[in-house]
Amino acid sequence: MAVRSRLPSLRWRRCALMLLSAVLLSAVLLALLPSTGLVGAQPSAAQPIPIRVLMPAPLADAVAGPVARFNARGSGVAVEVVRGPLDTETISDLAISSLLLGEAPFDLLLVDVSWLAKYVAAGWLVPLERWFGPEVLAGMEPGARLGNGLGDHLWRMPLTGDTGLLYWRTDLMERPPRDTEELVALSRDLQRRGKVRWGYLWQGRQYEGLSCVMVEVLQAFGARWWNGATARTELDSPEAVAAAGWLAGLLRDGVSPKAVANYAENDALQSFAAGEAAFLRNWPYAWREIEKSDGPVKGKVGVTPMVGAPGEQGGGTLGTWGLSLIEGSPHPEEAVEVIRWLTGPVVQRQLAIEQGYAPTWSRLYDDADLQRRAPLLAVQRQALQHPQLRPLTPAYAQLSDLLARQVNGMLTAQEGPDQAMAAAQGQSLQVLRSVAGTTGPKGTASEG
Amino acid sequence: MKQRATTLLLMLPALLLLAAVFLYPLLRYGWLSFHASSVLTGLVPVPNGGANWLRLLSDARFWTDAGQTLRFAVCSVALELAGGLALALLLHQPLQGRGALRALTLLPWALPTTVMALGWRWILNDPHGPLNAAIRSLGGSSYAFLSTPATTWFFVVLADVWKTLPFVALLLLAGLQTIPVDLEEALRLEGASRVQILRRLTLPLLVPYIALALLFRLAQALGVFDLILVLSGGGPAGSTESLALYAYLNAMRFLDFGYAATVMLATFLLLLALLGGGWLLLRRGGIERTPDRAT
Amino acid sequence: MNLTPAAGLELRQLCRDLGERRLLDRLDLKVAPGECLALLGPSGCGKSTTLRLVAGLDPASAGKVLLDGEDLTDRGPGERQVAMVFQSYALYPHLSVEGNLALGLKVRGVPVRERQRRIEAILDLLQLQELRLRRPAQLSGGQRQRVALARALLRQPRIVLLDEPMSNLDAQLREELRPELRRLLCGREQPVIYVTHDQQEAVGMADRIALLEGGRLQQVGSPRELYADPANRFVASFLGRPAINLLAMEPHRQLGLRPEHLRLGDDGAVAARLQRREWWGHQQLLWLDTPWGTVRVLTAPETPLPTEPRLSWQRQHELWFDPRSGERLAHGRI
Repeated sequence: MAVRSRLPSLRWRRCALMLLSAVLLSAVLLALLPSTGLVGAQPSAAQPIPIRVLMPAPLADAVAGPVARFNARGSGVAVEVVRGPLDTETISDLAISSLLLGEAPFDLLLVDVSWLAKYVAAGWLVPLERWFGPEVLAGMEPGARLGNGLGDHLWRMPLTGDTGLLYWRTDLMERPPRDTEELVALSRDLQRRGKVRWGYLWQGRQYEGLSCVMVEVLQAFGARWWNGATARTELDSPEAVAAAGWLAGLLRDGVSPKAVANYAENDALQSFAAGEAAFLRNWPYAWREIEKSDGPVKGKVGVTPMVGAPGEQGGGTLGTWGLSLIEGSPHPEEAVEVIRWLTGPVVQRQLAIEQGYAPTWSRLYDDADLQRRAPLLAVQRQALQHPQLRPLTPAYAQLSDLLARQVNGMLTAQEGPDQAMAAAQGQSLQVLRSVAGTTGPKGTASEG
Repeated sequence: MKQRATTLLLMLPALLLLAAVFLYPLLRYGWLSFHASSVLTGLVPVPNGGANWLRLLSDARFWTDAGQTLRFAVCSVALELAGGLALALLLHQPLQGRGALRALTLLPWALPTTVMALGWRWILNDPHGPLNAAIRSLGGSSYAFLSTPATTWFFVVLADVWKTLPFVALLLLAGLQTIPVDLEEALRLEGASRVQILRRLTLPLLVPYIALALLFRLAQALGVFDLILVLSGGGPAGSTESLALYAYLNAMRFLDFGYAATVMLATFLLLLALLGGGWLLLRRGGIERTPDRAT
Repeated sequence: MNLTPAAGLELRQLCRDLGERRLLDRLDLKVAPGECLALLGPSGCGKSTTLRLVAGLDPASAGKVLLDGEDLTDRGPGERQVAMVFQSYALYPHLSVEGNLALGLKVRGVPVRERQRRIEAILDLLQLQELRLRRPAQLSGGQRQRVALARALLRQPRIVLLDEPMSNLDAQLREELRPELRRLLCGREQPVIYVTHDQQEAVGMADRIALLEGGRLQQVGSPRELYADPANRFVASFLGRPAINLLAMEPHRQLGLRPEHLRLGDDGAVAARLQRREWWGHQQLLWLDTPWGTVRVLTAPETPLPTEPRLSWQRQHELWFDPRSGERLAHGRI
């Protein structure tokens, strides 16, 4: 059969090759065309200046109404919101891929608090203090002021003041637990009585969300991940090991399901919304999701700031979003105007009502009408008094990655808490040493 | 002579494009792997000698991931070849509705990996996934499949096999269809059983296709990334992290491009060594056949 | 042919249906031991189907295949001890000549020594010793055919089947190989069935010819019988080149006259006018216009043409057919 196909195949190969070359050539030409300016019209002078903003889809949808109104005002600026993916890590990947290409594909980026140090170090952001003086932040709740400044600069204007919150079932208990012991005791009691299958649901998957949970658990036990003064991690302190041990104990004792070790926010929310658990750790958006649904726990969910161990002050992880100006934006002045307006009270009010996002401005918390329409407001304000910041260092992604990896290993019963935390600490110091070794003190940063 | 010049000329655009999309990144990685280029250098490449490579040699995570990636690739490709062969033989039978069946088996392959991985995550969800629902309806209790390394690894392999088995099957089916029916009939007349026909005739004639599928799939499996990113995120505790995922984390999350390039290049070299080794083995086994001169 | 009822191959009312289509319709045929029977007919006539039914490669829809009185109908192809030479030769492309010969023996579990001995013998018989290490792709068409033949003979078959074994060879080679094929295959104890669409080959190879058309047996007999005494118009026109002249002389009868039986002279029954002349060297073919249409006449090459040529023939050569059914009419039969 090989013989028979021989003769025609040669000719065919020639033809195919020619065709391929032609196709490739035209593809190359087509790819070159836009950059040479042969096609694609330039916007005429009369058109408004476009300001492009990249946001995660839920936030983009939430601001769509206000943005339309802003554009209708005809201020000479047209805001164009680019809907990014939903997942925080995924949208960062997208933003970074675009930023690496050099020319700024958008003027403004909605920056998660955990990205800030990295983006600043990469030189992608423009300092904002030229436009926003120190007095601006003074009008915000204490927690909302954190994670925006670094070095001596202001790098972003916060749009939301979200923190991690504790969700509880109002139909199963009279008041939320005061501390971690009560949380476990209530859980076990309800589980024993068959009221719920699980006690406490949270995020234990190997990803950034687990680091957020760890920040809260560490705080609850009087430990801390990051010491800003020494720019070192303190993950192997006895308190930190105790905190990790408590988390592992939740799985061991059946207060949390083994499946938690693969739960992200949505998995945990799903289970909780189905009425399977007494408590849930999540962000403010979850409350709206539950209330919007027709699930079995609708109207039976309360929210409280994260609890600590007896005698310790609990605190939720700060998960705020803020707008930053991208280096290389052709219209910085107009872009800053958009920041000013988008982070202003009008938009924040809308976000609080529609999506349950926590505002940053103190006066919005005092607004009686908003209090009525956004029932979480009081709890959110309370939570913003003791928020927990994740390590503000350019090496944060590495630190978070290795912590989540070690803690997840502990949760899936491969290591004890002391081993896991010792390993996490050792690896963290290694990462920090490599940081210090390359650039010296410039690499570390203080909170602003 | 003149014909060769024309051939070269015709191939030039293709070669240029190949160089642009393949050779250039490779050279670029090679160059970058001898530089520090991260947030700490403001993303500006600064020569750092062989520091990245030295770091790689002592980077336990790299070697763990290399082992995990290799194990994943070997297991899933072996299963895909075995299953793909079985499926190809089945689809080669003159069954009713064979065309529809063939199209149907291709569905998993046509599904985007991320969608497929999300689907598997849902199937394996504890306790809401259908698999656990099935287990419960049989009287068992839910199992957190993605919370233990062994089961997670198993399902990562299974998902990969599920997705790419149709591709292998299709490739082998194409191979089967090049085997003239006469040959099998001649052997049947000699009194050969089905197993003997498979062993003595079908398999030897399929070798080029099997080798092609093997090379193709091995290269793909060693670069496994999106499936793992979505299905397990590399967890639990990094037990399913692949080299490509590690390189990706270094580049996109840690913004450490010098080291990411080193990991990427090392992965590529590993792949090359593996494929080269496999090729030599095939040759030594005498299976590699050059087409004979025509009469 | 003196056959005892049990000896040789017998096909009884053999049928093969594929869906709604009947590929073979109630075929009765006997092949004596050592006899070579050619299955002749145009493509799609059912000759290959018959061969596959005898080999057991396809199941019979009805009827029986008997060998020496033994019913083979329900046996698998491997259990019939049948050797077949395929049109494509079906040589295993991944094996050398030797490997091709050895595979069947291996599959049947013939011990190594015995295998070796038989392969050597057959390589000698077919003069394939020098080619033993070549792959099929490295062989010429004739060489491949010899290997396929060797493989068939190694089977020690009770029946030998050949499916157009020479159709891939050029005309000259075909003629050269015919005696060799006869020497090797025919006149032994096995019945041989030889499928071809080429009447010259059938005449050259076979003791008897079975002519098939549309899945039905038209006539079986020696080449001479089929030529001189065709059962119907199809047989008459399929055999003999140039083809028989069919003349609608009467409304209910059609006259068949072979070109070689017509004579041209000054007197005869029918007036004719020369239209065209084909010169073949040893003969010439004349195309003539007559009141009944164009008629072909075969004559010696240098035969002079009368000024007013007329056609004549001998009565004994007349073949009469029913114009509608094509059946041979009794009138005029020898």
